Amino acid sequence: MSSKDRDREPQAPLTPAMFHILLALADGEKHGYAILKEVADRTGGKVQLSAGTLYGIIKRLDESGWILEKSQRPDIGFDDERRRYYQLTETGRRVAMAEASRLQEMVDMARAKRLVRKPRLA
Amino acid sequence: MPDDRPRISDRIFRMALAVLPSDFRGNYANEMHRVFREQQREAGERDGFAGLIKLWWETLTGLLTTGPREHWEILKQDVFYALRMMRKNFGFTIVAVLTLALGIGANTAIFSVVNAVLLSPLPYPKGRELVILRQQAQKQGVDNLAFSVKEIEDYRAQNGTFSGVAEYHSMTFTLLGRDEPLRVQTGVVSANYFDLFGIKPIQGRTFREDDDKLGAPAVLLVSYEFWKNSLDGDPNIVGKTFRMNDRVHTVVGVLPPVPQYPVENDVYMPTVACPFRGSKAMMEGRDHRMMNVFARMKDSVKLGAAGADVETIAGRLMQDYPKFYPASMGYRTITVPLKGELIKDARPTLLILLGATGFVLLIACANVANLTLARMTQRERELAVRSALGAGRSRLLRQLLTESVLIAALGAGLGLLFASGGMDLLQGFAARFTPRAREIRIDYVVLLFTFIVAAGTSIVFGSLAAFLSRESLAAGLKEGTGGASASRRRHRVRSLLIVSQIALSFLLLTGAGLMLRSFVKLQRVDPGFVPQHILAMKVSPNFTKYTKNDQYRALSNRMLESAKMRPGVMSVAISSSFPFDPDSVVFGLGINPYLIEGRPLKDGEAQPTSAARVASADYFKLLGIPILEGRSFTEADTKDAQQVAIVNQALVRHHWAGEDPIGHRISFDDGKTWQTIVGVVGDTKELALNQPADEQVYVPVDQYPQIGSLLVRTMGDPMSVARDIRQSVYDVDPDTALTHMQSLEAARSATLTSPRLTTDLLAVFAGLALVMAATGIGGIMALTVSQRLREIGIRMAMGAKPRDILRMVLRQGLGLGLTGIVVGLLAAIGLTRLLQTLLFEISPTDPITLGAVGLVLVSAAVISCLIPARRAAKTDPLAALRFE
Repeated sequence: MSSKDRDREPQAPLTPAMFHILLALADGEKHGYAILKEVADRTGGKVQLSAGTLYGIIKRLDESGWILEKSQRPDIGFDDERRRYYQLTETGRRVAMAEASRLQEMVDMARAKRLVRKPRLA
Repeated sequence: MPDDRPRISDRIFRMALAVLPSDFRGNYANEMHRVFREQQREAGERDGFAGLIKLWWETLTGLLTTGPREHWEILKQDVFYALRMMRKNFGFTIVAVLTLALGIGANTAIFSVVNAVLLSPLPYPKGRELVILRQQAQKQGVDNLAFSVKEIEDYRAQNGTFSGVAEYHSMTFTLLGRDEPLRVQTGVVSANYFDLFGIKPIQGRTFREDDDKLGAPAVLLVSYEFWKNSLDGDPNIVGKTFRMNDRVHTVVGVLPPVPQYPVENDVYMPTVACPFRGSKAMMEGRDHRMMNVFARMKDSVKLGAAGADVETIAGRLMQDYPKFYPASMGYRTITVPLKGELIKDARPTLLILLGATGFVLLIACANVANLTLARMTQRERELAVRSALGAGRSRLLRQLLTESVLIAALGAGLGLLFASGGMDLLQGFAARFTPRAREIRIDYVVLLFTFIVAAGTSIVFGSLAAFLSRESLAAGLKEGTGGASASRRRHRVRSLLIVSQIALSFLLLTGAGLMLRSFVKLQRVDPGFVPQHILAMKVSPNFTKYTKNDQYRALSNRMLESAKMRPGVMSVAISSSFPFDPDSVVFGLGINPYLIEGRPLKDGEAQPTSAARVASADYFKLLGIPILEGRSFTEADTKDAQQVAIVNQALVRHHWAGEDPIGHRISFDDGKTWQTIVGVVGDTKELALNQPADEQVYVPVDQYPQIGSLLVRTMGDPMSVARDIRQSVYDVDPDTALTHMQSLEAARSATLTSPRLTTDLLAVFAGLALVMAATGIGGIMALTVSQRLREIGIRMAMGAKPRDILRMVLRQGLGLGLTGIVVGLLAAIGLTRLLQTLLFEISPTDPITLGAVGLVLVSAAVISCLIPARRAAKTDPLAALRFE
């Protein structure tokens, strides 16, 4: 990947899985398993990422510069040192926000057409 | 941790990770495994066995979508990168692609011929069941005696192994009803002929049983080519009528384009319509043999069983009719597969050409591999940098392979274009050897072949380069020193490649050289006559108008007179046929048994046979055939004068060696009439220049009135009087058909076409090989010089003269060249005997050819080394030492 490809804004809507991972990292760095668990918990098990798909997405998010593999690890004793942690980059945060507002707009439009019965906060 | 015990599920998971690219695995495998184990533990605790199954399912399907996607990403990147590198090294790319295109193109082209002619099944349903019966007279050396009507009836009635037996012969008839009388080659066949082959007409119908009954209305089938070319593809041709042999024939169908054997016919008619076959003599004479026999074996019958069946019938016939099968002739009837017959002339030439193109491709591969290796040296730094940036070794190898696959693919595409561009040429070439030429096309088998060749090619030159750069990848970072052994190894491989290129070039050049020498010899063969300034043509009077010998005599005299009057004509002769007569070349000169007066046949002695030709008085003078003894025919040799004959030397050598044959008498009709030999003429090569002259008897046209050909000696270009001569014949009788009008020089040259084409093709391939090998050796020497510049500088600083440096570089280049030549020579001595069947009067290990080829290659090596050698000699020692 050359540098001009990095840090780019998304050209197309994110896939749901990508968005979920960005969401999972929005409140702090996590390792792979924690991401999986958070996504599964948050969606009530509706979105089930697996070890087979997770790292393909992580690789792409990493290459796009939206997430970053943390070089320092959390306190020894508090955590297992062999884990790799990921955190959202500034670009990643902007991308997630852009996607969230895009979704928001979509929902607003749907509401205007009376396709959404009752506004519900997540 | 208790989880750290290696479990089966861990091993399975690790195995499943293999679907991912190795770089990806290297980066994430451990993490993935960790996540999976945690998930596994949780799922097991929460949902038990069902949870585990679900997890495995999700994980495996996840891997199966991620794996291909990651591979695809890498491929895209690699292709992108490769294209960029190819653009950057445009010169290399062009040379490599063109080299491979030539190699792959030549192979595709020749393979398309091999595939269509040798490999594909015949274009008839169950073509494997089709056979040809062949009656032979072994003791006479006659391997195709043809069959009589009576014999065919017997084989048809008595066999138990064929589902059908069809008869065939081919004649020329005159088709009237169009602007000019049209001479058509006519296949005369039994009604079941087309059904036997399974040929379905593209218009109308083929023959029915009723068409072949006496008194049936005359019908015709037209061949696809005749319909297209001479009838303008008339869509309403069925039902149209032509006059032929004084009868009205109705066209009932058009045949599809299928191979026709033994000759291409324009039209087909049922046997009952042929006036010659219908004669009493033909119908009843067991020894009036004129027909070919095709048969289809019953479903489960093997060739051996059919052959045995036929032999049994032949044996029975010999017992029942001993008079017609004298033991002295050695009669037998064999059964041969049709396909083998259709391709037997083409096989040796095609296989040799395929071998030659295979060598060309190997040389091309070696060349491109060498180029790639040389380029690797330049790219070492780039690869090292990429490696330092985190690209794994396998990742870089993959990148290099992608580049070579792309180059091979481009080469294959271009080669395919070359091959399809040459399709017409190829068909024309193959038509010289086989009736299957029209089947040549680029079909999926050929495409598959090209694909395999291209894949093989890229693997050969790509993996070689990749393999050799593998060790230097690590070394590259260490700035030169560590790469020394790798670079030495690379140099060795390059030298090996050069040596094999030279050796293969030696083989190809030798093959081409042998063919060339053989061809020159063929061309220099004295045919025994002077073909220059002679216009020859086949003449076919409308035989329904001329039924009596006197009419023919008068006609021939009038034609001679009429032609003689034309400007530019020096002399004219009429004969039944002429040397290189296209009909004779296909059907042979004819085998006429005769008796010699005063020499009764001993028991079991075979009756002598000879070719026989009717000729008018000026025939020998016109053709420049020398009268060696006695006299030529004269005006005085009329029908009422003494019956005379002239024989050639070959016949004299056979029967009157050391004696004077003049005055002896021979008879072609069992002694009813006797011809007195009045002259001996020189031998003439009539069918092919590479065969000895046949024994030949000539008889005067007035005593054997028969008109088959007209020969005209002209002052200038024979073709310039063609129109005049045609008119002179029409002036005498406009119903006369004239065909095969050509100069005798052209007819002679036509017999050389196939050796010439084979020679040309081999020469082209050998030329390609030579150029590739020469550039290869020049290239490697240039590279060596530039790598050894520092060493050369030191040598010169130590007192070496430019001459010494020149000599040193030349010696090294020549060393490679000579090694290649020695290897090539050994291979040539082993391999060139495969060419034997194609060579004429030259040994496959002809020392002159081998020597000349060696010389050519040595010169090529010297010339191509000269440029780098001179560059080396001009080295400025100071500059060279400052370098680095």
